[in-house]
Amino acid sequence: MSAAANTISEVAESESHHEHQIPFWKKYIFSTDHKVIGVQYGLTSLCFLAFGFFLMMVMRWSIAYPDRPVPVLSDWPWFQSWLDDNGKVTGDLYNMFGAMHGTIMIFLGVVPLGFAAFGNYVMPLQIGAPDMAFPRINMASYWVYVIGGAMMFASFFIPSGAAKAGWTNYSPLATVTDHQYGDLFWTGQTQWLVSMVLVISSSLLGSVNVICTIINLRCKGMTWMRMPVFVWATLSTAFILLLAFPPLEAAAILQLVDRMGGTSFFIPTGLNVSGMPLDAAGGGSPLLYQHLFWFLAHPEVYVLILPAIGIVAEVVACNTRKPLWGYRTMVYAVLALGFLSFLVWAHHMYMTGMGPAISSFFQTTTVIVSTPSVILVTALLISMWGGSIRFNTPMLFATSFLPMFGIGGLTGLPLAFNIPDLHLHDTYYVIGHFHYVVAPGSIFALFAGVYHWYPKITGRMMNEKLGLLHFWPSLIFMNGIFGPMLIQGMAGFHRRAFDGGRAYETMSQQVYAEPGSFLAVIAEKLHIIDPHAALTMIDLNVVTSASAWLLAVFQIPFIINVFASAFVGKKVKSDNPWEATTMEWATPTPPPHGNFLTPPVAYRGAYEYSVPGAPRDFTPQFETDAELIAGSEHTDDPDEAAVPVH
Amino acid sequence: MSDAHFDAAKTKKSFFAVGIALFVFTVVTVVVGLVPMFDIGAPGPDAADIILGLAIAGTKASLVALIFMHLNHEKGAIYKLMLFTTIMFACLMVATIFAEMDPIKEQFDTLSTTSGVVSEVR
Amino acid sequence: MQIPHEVIPRRDTGLYNAKIGIWIFLASEVMLFGGLFSAYAFLRLGVQTGVDNPWPWGLSVHKNFVWLGAINTLVLIASSVGVVFAWVAVKERNWKRYQRYMYFVVACALTFMAIKSVEYYSKLVKHHGIKLVDNSVMEGTIIDRSDKIEFQGEKISFNLQGALPWVFKDFESGEFPLLTVESGPDEVVGDKIASAAAFKAWHSSGRAKVMQKLVDERRRYRAERDAGATPKPVSVNSSVTLVATAPFKVNADFRRLVMHNATALNYRDGVKVEGKLVTDAVRFQVHEVDMQLVLPTKQRSSVVWDVIGSAEAKQHFFDKQSEKYAELKEYYDKRGGIIPDKQLRGRFLNVQYVHVPIDEKSGGENKSAQHDSVHTSDMLLTAGGGDSEGHVGPSKTILVPRDKIKFMSNHGPRYGNYYGIYFTITALHGIHVIFGALVLLFFTIFGKKMFLENPDHLANRVEVGGLFWHFVDLVWIFLFPLMYLL
Repeated sequence: MSAAANTISEVAESESHHEHQIPFWKKYIFSTDHKVIGVQYGLTSLCFLAFGFFLMMVMRWSIAYPDRPVPVLSDWPWFQSWLDDNGKVTGDLYNMFGAMHGTIMIFLGVVPLGFAAFGNYVMPLQIGAPDMAFPRINMASYWVYVIGGAMMFASFFIPSGAAKAGWTNYSPLATVTDHQYGDLFWTGQTQWLVSMVLVISSSLLGSVNVICTIINLRCKGMTWMRMPVFVWATLSTAFILLLAFPPLEAAAILQLVDRMGGTSFFIPTGLNVSGMPLDAAGGGSPLLYQHLFWFLAHPEVYVLILPAIGIVAEVVACNTRKPLWGYRTMVYAVLALGFLSFLVWAHHMYMTGMGPAISSFFQTTTVIVSTPSVILVTALLISMWGGSIRFNTPMLFATSFLPMFGIGGLTGLPLAFNIPDLHLHDTYYVIGHFHYVVAPGSIFALFAGVYHWYPKITGRMMNEKLGLLHFWPSLIFMNGIFGPMLIQGMAGFHRRAFDGGRAYETMSQQVYAEPGSFLAVIAEKLHIIDPHAALTMIDLNVVTSASAWLLAVFQIPFIINVFASAFVGKKVKSDNPWEATTMEWATPTPPPHGNFLTPPVAYRGAYEYSVPGAPRDFTPQFETDAELIAGSEHTDDPDEAAVPVH
Repeated sequence: MSDAHFDAAKTKKSFFAVGIALFVFTVVTVVVGLVPMFDIGAPGPDAADIILGLAIAGTKASLVALIFMHLNHEKGAIYKLMLFTTIMFACLMVATIFAEMDPIKEQFDTLSTTSGVVSEVR
Repeated sequence: MQIPHEVIPRRDTGLYNAKIGIWIFLASEVMLFGGLFSAYAFLRLGVQTGVDNPWPWGLSVHKNFVWLGAINTLVLIASSVGVVFAWVAVKERNWKRYQRYMYFVVACALTFMAIKSVEYYSKLVKHHGIKLVDNSVMEGTIIDRSDKIEFQGEKISFNLQGALPWVFKDFESGEFPLLTVESGPDEVVGDKIASAAAFKAWHSSGRAKVMQKLVDERRRYRAERDAGATPKPVSVNSSVTLVATAPFKVNADFRRLVMHNATALNYRDGVKVEGKLVTDAVRFQVHEVDMQLVLPTKQRSSVVWDVIGSAEAKQHFFDKQSEKYAELKEYYDKRGGIIPDKQLRGRFLNVQYVHVPIDEKSGGENKSAQHDSVHTSDMLLTAGGGDSEGHVGPSKTILVPRDKIKFMSNHGPRYGNYYGIYFTITALHGIHVIFGALVLLFFTIFGKKMFLENPDHLANRVEVGGLFWHFVDLVWIFLFPLMYLL
């Protein structure tokens, strides 16, 4: 470590000295510092991701072995009340876990991690802002999210259990579920709605903050076209959240009134529930709910994917040591994606008896929306061409994002047209498709982000070996989970069969490997099927489930890595360990309250790597030409001369 | 709005005028709705009344937005934001309704409905 | 650390943070109310004539509320003007005038909410509707909460595995009978329960015991199965019966019942109460009759006339209907067209709410002078009849047998989609009004220090608060015609 770097951290120390007076709870718990809030968001959402994953593992047991009791869990007394006498998963439990898996993963896991955690931590640093525009609203946003998440989690433990009408919560099913309970408020379904209203409000506060920060708090010289792609992606995401979430909030409010106030916004006339006419006025429209819901939920897909693409762009540019290919194109593609995502929602509703005119409109827009996605992936791919790529862990995750997202996107095309969609609707094909986008897509990119920015957050590097042990098995098992789903889905397996489609399979007997064939022999060796039996579609359930559990096992290195590296990881040698060009690396490590020691200035675009004639292979945004040359003459530590010391 | 040339008297005058206009429009819309003499179209409320009522409401709303919320001289960023929002709002309103009333499906629907069953009550 | 551009606008955008923030927030509010307005349009256009509950067209339901709505519109407009004047006052550095305008705005908000609550109260408490089995509808007032089923209970049985039984909320207030556990799991038999609180404690401990027993039983079951024997099925007795020492009164909310008969109430949550039915007929003061969901050919033989039991009222209804028909026919004859089906069926002829005048001959049994006086004194607040004269006379009180009723409700959100969306949007709007008024009040009371230190900052705050306030006004400008006039 050079002398100058020491000085930087000393200065940081003295600058932040007055903060030692701030009590602990105000500094780390009810903090208004965007970085602390970002880390809070990150840790909370990782916990929710783990919990959502746990729900899915129980479901996968039921799918693979519907006739065997759940191991381990069936001995836990409180868990037993959900299981049947044999300790097997019941249909109700499967529905409950299915609904909550979707809800938790999307609304409490991936969105807060991608948009709120990284958006909060990285975005203000990348535009050179001292904090978010409204720090206290930022804090409120986090705590509203925590309350909403806690309510969602607590709803498992009330007598009715959590929501069980699918993550889409379609009316009228969702409205009449749990009606046997006297007090409708304390049922999972109602709690779901209330906590959704809270989570949505939190996202709205967050997006107001993000948009305002990007518009008004960019540092000197940070013009629009000098902003990193991640900032653009966050801006686009914030707009989606801002304008798409309120209709869902409206839908949630209307459904809440339907449940609690007995209105019939989504209840058609003459609805019978378990043989009895429902005591409601009727005249409502279940379709209305679907419109309002999907008006959010399709743009929501882009909320999941845009920050991921932004992160991948940062990681790829940094590790290929090349400027991004087609930066402007990418920016426009991100914006176009944000805009077009609003015009495609009804492609989720082809089965509702929509008319041909409107469904042609939505088929067309759906195909159009794939164009910007393809532009983004292609630009990232071309960016790698001819680069001298550093394949460290973040880059591995970012690289694998591209084909995984590609598979996810391409398998979506058949679903965009209503004729194939009629066949594939609600099958495992759909599940495989959107999980390819979100799981090995978004979540891999988020892992890349964690590995990439971890040194900035903690001042220590994450362990590279554990990183590899995390990456390669994850990549294999992700495909082991979702690949078979695509095959099963095309064979017609329905997503909501809690026994994994036994009844369907007995009827159809779709053999794809005769006894004695290569695959069948392997399956026998693995004890998946009886000896000398044909391999049928249903045996893929075991492959998928086993992959899911193994995937869980190989997340352990990551968890250890995240927590242990904060204490025993290799200390970073400089403030810019990856030798990146963007603004966040100009701060001390970890950044103090207020981020920059002097008001930063952006002198050039975001991705000036390997500029011909430049002294080094990276030309940071925050250094003047003179500083650049001075920096390269003395040492390869980029920050030595970069920051004037007061 | 912290522009240098801020003319308090003129601003107040325009605010007052707009307030009076809003009062007048409210009275007009009530009168048109209540008094049979001013009823346009068929007796009782019908499509024409809805269009008229919404037109008056729209005028009032734009007065509030333009003068009270100073949208008549605002900065570019806010126009861009509101333009985007307006497009999305229109999309939400129009497309959901359009989805309900599909022009192609409508033709088949009208074939099957019993048109003219209740043409004469007695 | 100071956030830049909190007060001074940024040079290139020309805006300070809060102003961008509020506009972004308003954009999301536009979409929130947009979602609700699109729900309004979707539901209204989606009404199937003759099947779904009709949208109360025009003034047919609440002529008197129009004036309340109109006054509210004027109040909100006045408050909007107040906000801009307050802002100008800060710009002119005149604290006294600023404060006066702001208090005026807050007073307007209070007036608005007061008028609103008068309207809510009237709709929720004073007006009811009953839809009979043949879809004819009577409008009026349910007297003495007689929509509840009066029942004399002796025995309550339920399953301890479920949630807290709802029936205990239906007990007549203040009365909790002494209950003894007659049968159930051994641990709880013979327990005595004397109060609601004791019941709650007893229930939760009993539930825990039963659940523990279930867990143990399942352990045993699995152990036996794993040992290779054919296990004895899991059985846990969790149904309990409580017997009261003296009969207790239950006023059952019919919405929580699956069915009831002369000796038992069956609740939706599986609880059964045995005893004796006191009465389940509804005492109802009829104001109007609405036949639009009944086919024209069946209107004369409708159930509603049997229930009302007044030939005079029936005659009155059909006279009015013919009158309306003539009026409509004249309009279309003049233009040489035939009356469109939609007009004929949906809006005018059958939708007409016809006032049912008092009929002394048969209206005796339940009518009391007291009820009528209550009704007349509240005349100002009642929704007037649909006839354009708006004449509402004293109305008749009848007994409606429970088995003739298909659906009944107050004019609250349950009554139909119009009422639902009306209450939802106006309540949400009301929350906005309260929130906005609180923020403005905060700026007024605690703004002095900021006014002295940095008046521009206060002016910005008032401007931003004002933008929100204008938006709230703007929503109401659309709500008023959509909810009251059209």
